[in-house]
Amino acid sequence: MREVIGRYGTAIAGLAIIVFFVLFAPNFALPNNMLNVLKETSFLAILALGFTLAFTVAELDLSIAEVASLAAVVAGWLIQSQMHPGLAVAGGLAVGAAFGAANGYGVTVLRIPSLIMTLGTAAIAKGLAFMLTQGVAFMGRWPVGFTGLARGTVFGIPNLILWMAAVTLFAYGLVKWTRTGAHMVATGEADEAARLAGIATGRMKRIGMLLTGLCAGITAVLLAASLSSAAPNMAGDYLLYAIAAVLLGMTMFEPGKPNIPGTVFAALVLKVLGNGLVMMGAPYYVQDIVLGAIIIGSVAFSASAMKTAAFKV
Amino acid sequence: MTEPATPILSLRGIGKSYGPVVAVREVDLDIHAGEVVAICGDNGAGKSSLIKVISGAEEPSSGTISMRGKPVAFASPHDALSHGVATIYQDLALAPRLSIYQNVFMGSELTRPVLLPFLRVLDKAKMIAESQRFLAQLSVAITDMTRPVERLSGGQRQAVAISRALRWNAEIIIMDEPTAALGVKETALVLDLIRKLKADGHTVLLISHNMRDVVALADRVVIMGAGRKFVDRPIDGLTADDLSHMIMSGNARAA
Repeated sequence: MREVIGRYGTAIAGLAIIVFFVLFAPNFALPNNMLNVLKETSFLAILALGFTLAFTVAELDLSIAEVASLAAVVAGWLIQSQMHPGLAVAGGLAVGAAFGAANGYGVTVLRIPSLIMTLGTAAIAKGLAFMLTQGVAFMGRWPVGFTGLARGTVFGIPNLILWMAAVTLFAYGLVKWTRTGAHMVATGEADEAARLAGIATGRMKRIGMLLTGLCAGITAVLLAASLSSAAPNMAGDYLLYAIAAVLLGMTMFEPGKPNIPGTVFAALVLKVLGNGLVMMGAPYYVQDIVLGAIIIGSVAFSASAMKTAAFKV
Repeated sequence: MTEPATPILSLRGIGKSYGPVVAVREVDLDIHAGEVVAICGDNGAGKSSLIKVISGAEEPSSGTISMRGKPVAFASPHDALSHGVATIYQDLALAPRLSIYQNVFMGSELTRPVLLPFLRVLDKAKMIAESQRFLAQLSVAITDMTRPVERLSGGQRQAVAISRALRWNAEIIIMDEPTAALGVKETALVLDLIRKLKADGHTVLLISHNMRDVVALADRVVIMGAGRKFVDRPIDGLTADDLSHMIMSGNARAA
């Protein structure tokens, strides 16, 4: 019983929250609203999946939101300059990947703690985004070839949800099914043991952080495509949400460990919570307070779950 | 004394310095296949640094290593492992929260193809079966290979670490203070594990502070002090007290 609560307790609580809003929040249960929540979830989930991969190799990436903003701005700028949508997508993804690679290089080669390294690259990305836009958002009638990435559907399923599913499957498959994933997990769990077991731990950290940046790039392209605009601070709010999703995710399924299903489900719960609170007429600032409480509460819960696990022999 | 064939591992003039600090000086050492050799010495004698060089964790500042007469260079633990030299470190060896089979196969996971020949996924079932086989070989009875290592006893953890060495087909297994953190019963278990390794034809390098373990297990003892090797002889009839005296007199000489 204790095992079940440790593993699924917060997931069940999350489910209860969703059911609560379905039953009691006015208009929450409308199909359109629920679909919107799911679409909104995709941005957060993809960004947070990236953070999960950095966390899997035991590094932080605090630059994801600013990097996503910059990547969106670059994609928007390319679209605005009449470039091919494919090029705009490639540009956005390249910005994300380049920052991810730079973060990985800084952490493993220059041996800068990821907290510092990614705070630095976050500031750089922010500055570059404002430089490119001069503080004004790019927007306009963008080609469907670009906006369709986020707004289109396949067999009636919104593309955003499909992208989220694809990134989730990729991340899950990588971590659970591949040798690289196993090496990443070992690196994150016990760096020195992994190195002594012959694992190229530096390379694993670089791969993890590169993929984190790439996820920020994917989020950015989808955000820009969905909104037909790119502003220099458009993803700024996502950092805390992504961290909250990863930490809340770590309280479920595999307690104490960053895990893919946990992150995705937690992202959904956070978005439902945000939307539901609005629907119930809660003032906007309540969300921030709840978010902060979730971040702290998740870590406290994980810590106690791990304690009971360690004592229960 | 008749020398058997070429030593399986041979060190010549190995030195290791950390900046101005010289940890190992001019060590020559020959290890023969199937031997259990104990390396003893006080703290700071240079044992750990020497082991790090043999295990590929650190590169020597000078000297050469050869295996079966052929020169080798260990630039990383992976190099040493692929030459059949596996090291089991006192407390750095395992990832506590990962399962037994994940620890046994850490760094050398088994995969199987899915759909396409080049698309390979982890073969969890096989890794679990193989882990079970290694532990059975060591006569350790644990059934659940998905159990996290942190829930095992100290002796069982050593068995998991040794299983990893077996997984690499290691001929030479280096054990760094394998009984240091263990109680009496667990120590007995680990000593049995080492005897089994020897019986199976493995060569074991044992770093230990526990002279009773050394006397009980080793064929030969090497004593180091101040970075140098100053005793290298068969154990024949030496007692734990003899060894302690040798270490102390060596220290006196070094000082």
